[in-house]
Amino acid sequence: MLKKYNLTVGLTGNPNVGKSTLFNALTGSKQHVGNWPGKTVEKKEGEFSFEGKKIQLVDLPGSYSLTAYSEEETITSNFILQEKPDVVVQIIDAQNFARNLFITIQLIELGTPLVVALNMVDLAKMSGISIKIEELSKLLGVPVVVISARKQVGIDDLLRAILKKRDTKNKLRIKLTYGTEINEELKKIKDFIKSKEKIDKQELDWFSLKLLEGDYRAEQNLIKKPYYLELKSLIQKSINHLQNIFGKDIISILANTRYGFIEGLARKVVDRKKIKQRISFSEKFDNVATNRFFGIPLFLFVIFLIFQATFKLSEPIMGWIELLFGFLGNNISSLLASRGFSNLFISLINEGIIGGVGGVLVFMPIIGILFLLIALLEDSGYMARVAYIMDKLMNKIGLHGKAFIPLILGFGCNVPAIMATRTLETKEDRLLTILINPFISCGARLPVYVLFVGVFFSAYQGLVIFSLYLLGIVVAILMGLIFKKFLFKKSSSPFVIELPSYRWPTLKGLLIHSGERVWLFIKKAGTVILAFSVIIWALASLPAGVDYGSKQSWAGSMGQSVAPVFQPLGFDNWQSSVALIFGFVAKEVVVGTFGTLYGVDDVESSSGIESLNSALQNDFTPLSAYAFMIFVLLYVPCMAVLAVVKKETGSWKWPLFMIFYTTGIAWIVAFIFYQGGKLLGFE
Amino acid sequence: MQILTEFKKRDKLKIKHLDCGYGFKRRLAELGLFESVEVEIIKNDNFGPLIIKIFDSKIALGRGEAQKIYAQKI
Repeated sequence: MLKKYNLTVGLTGNPNVGKSTLFNALTGSKQHVGNWPGKTVEKKEGEFSFEGKKIQLVDLPGSYSLTAYSEEETITSNFILQEKPDVVVQIIDAQNFARNLFITIQLIELGTPLVVALNMVDLAKMSGISIKIEELSKLLGVPVVVISARKQVGIDDLLRAILKKRDTKNKLRIKLTYGTEINEELKKIKDFIKSKEKIDKQELDWFSLKLLEGDYRAEQNLIKKPYYLELKSLIQKSINHLQNIFGKDIISILANTRYGFIEGLARKVVDRKKIKQRISFSEKFDNVATNRFFGIPLFLFVIFLIFQATFKLSEPIMGWIELLFGFLGNNISSLLASRGFSNLFISLINEGIIGGVGGVLVFMPIIGILFLLIALLEDSGYMARVAYIMDKLMNKIGLHGKAFIPLILGFGCNVPAIMATRTLETKEDRLLTILINPFISCGARLPVYVLFVGVFFSAYQGLVIFSLYLLGIVVAILMGLIFKKFLFKKSSSPFVIELPSYRWPTLKGLLIHSGERVWLFIKKAGTVILAFSVIIWALASLPAGVDYGSKQSWAGSMGQSVAPVFQPLGFDNWQSSVALIFGFVAKEVVVGTFGTLYGVDDVESSSGIESLNSALQNDFTPLSAYAFMIFVLLYVPCMAVLAVVKKETGSWKWPLFMIFYTTGIAWIVAFIFYQGGKLLGFE
Repeated sequence: MQILTEFKKRDKLKIKHLDCGYGFKRRLAELGLFESVEVEIIKNDNFGPLIIKIFDSKIALGRGEAQKIYAQKI
């Protein structure tokens, strides 16, 4: 096989050490800097050339250890063990030298061709930590290069070290001694495996150590072997023996040995000067951000600013996109008409396809701007504080502290909100947060409320709208509790996150991140949305010759046959059923549909509003209008949401489930409200 | 020996015992929290997670999790 690259380099390190910044600096490719521990689950690759060599760079997920604990952490060890990169670069944050070395040791034990890049040396100096580089390199037996990923200093030195590393085979390799007792037990395990299997010595060392640690991956490798049970009981005996001698658990025993080694090393290479502890700005800010009284108000203020910025900035852009597609639609229609195409075909192109593509692209500004701002919060280190202050509250409803962010985003738009659930670590937490997200009332539902509130509740507009938002939250919480009890019995992942030091994100990193999100949305969700648009078009325009969405169209007859279902909810007129069907495209479409169905041309002109109002007053009472709003709030989320749910969960199972369960809940709640209201004599 | 949640801000402690599952123990060890290591309480509001300084990093630890960790003041 012809090799495309001269060498492959893996990039690893703890979260928040500047890994992605270096990746961006080297490759300039699509990649993003996050502050959530272990955020990038996908494997990201980039390429660049240096001194005539083509180098492939693989960004490995940030992790704290090579022992397989979570899905992301198997990725790193799998890559190193199976794909055998030419060189692995570990970035170390000089400010947190000791903790970072924990993974260095494991990389060396694994026999990784390692180069250490020491980042943020200047920041460490400011807090009184200086590191003797040559000494460190000698003691570890690997090259150590000082870099600044942000200022792009020392990058060439690093690349030269990488090339040099590839050409020299590992001769000097430090060996960590675990002490007599542990070594004895390790030897028993090794001897047993050696008697059954031909295995490379280095691999054997690593493998037996991992077995003693109870590494998930190592066990999986073993489970099919005929001697599994025998070995397993041997290991268990060793563990019990060691735990008895040391009086602590095996994990603490091994961690103690490793950190003992690190401490010894740190004594030789780290100079710690006591610097007069001035309370830095970042400390002061942190005191407010994590304060029990000010933390939440500050966060709500930040979220408010983000919403304002997102919707104020994206509104005009969305307007331009709509104008552009309207213009395109009209021109292409008249062009097609002049060539003698049938009206039906023109309508398919105009309403179905161009409208559908426009419906996808109109989300672009919201997603782009919102994710740019969220990336700013994440990369600056603030988001970890948000998870901290919200954990208590979220815990009460069975959710992880980090789940608060996607829920809050739902008030803007559920699409980016569901995309943001990626920051959650376990599948159960993610799925739960995704499933309850559609009940958070998004911006597109507001026009529907505004229309009905204006007609039926003009004296209490704000209050009624607020009550709907509140109802959405209550239903989300209740459903969360129910799912937690019946669907995800496993308790949520333990809450432990690092609060990284604050820093300014790089503009490049932010832009790459939000660009990536927009692209992902267009690529994955776009096709689904387009398909739904064409289906809705077909329902509204067929059979041939009917007016778009009229009583005679398939949608119209569907509306008429569905309408009786809504009779107990108080709105069994066929128009509202058709409006609900079309609301599946996007919930604000409900308003426009009523306009079309009641023969109002422009629902935004004052005369248009007037005639729509009187038409609605014929078909609704205040009670049934409120029931209708409840239904719009809770029923099936729009197709863009279903498309991202499909993308994020990886199957149609969950979006399909979502269609039925949300609509069921909507019917039940609206039913209880309407019938209850009637009993109380509100009709 | 007391549980972690009983200590106050600026208390320096030695971790004595972890009464939690295998996977979580390993996770804590990676972050530098294991038996006989020394840590400092940065924040304990008597509700919500604690913030602890472990080596040179700040770690937020859920209250339920912290209640399974025993330590001694030094």
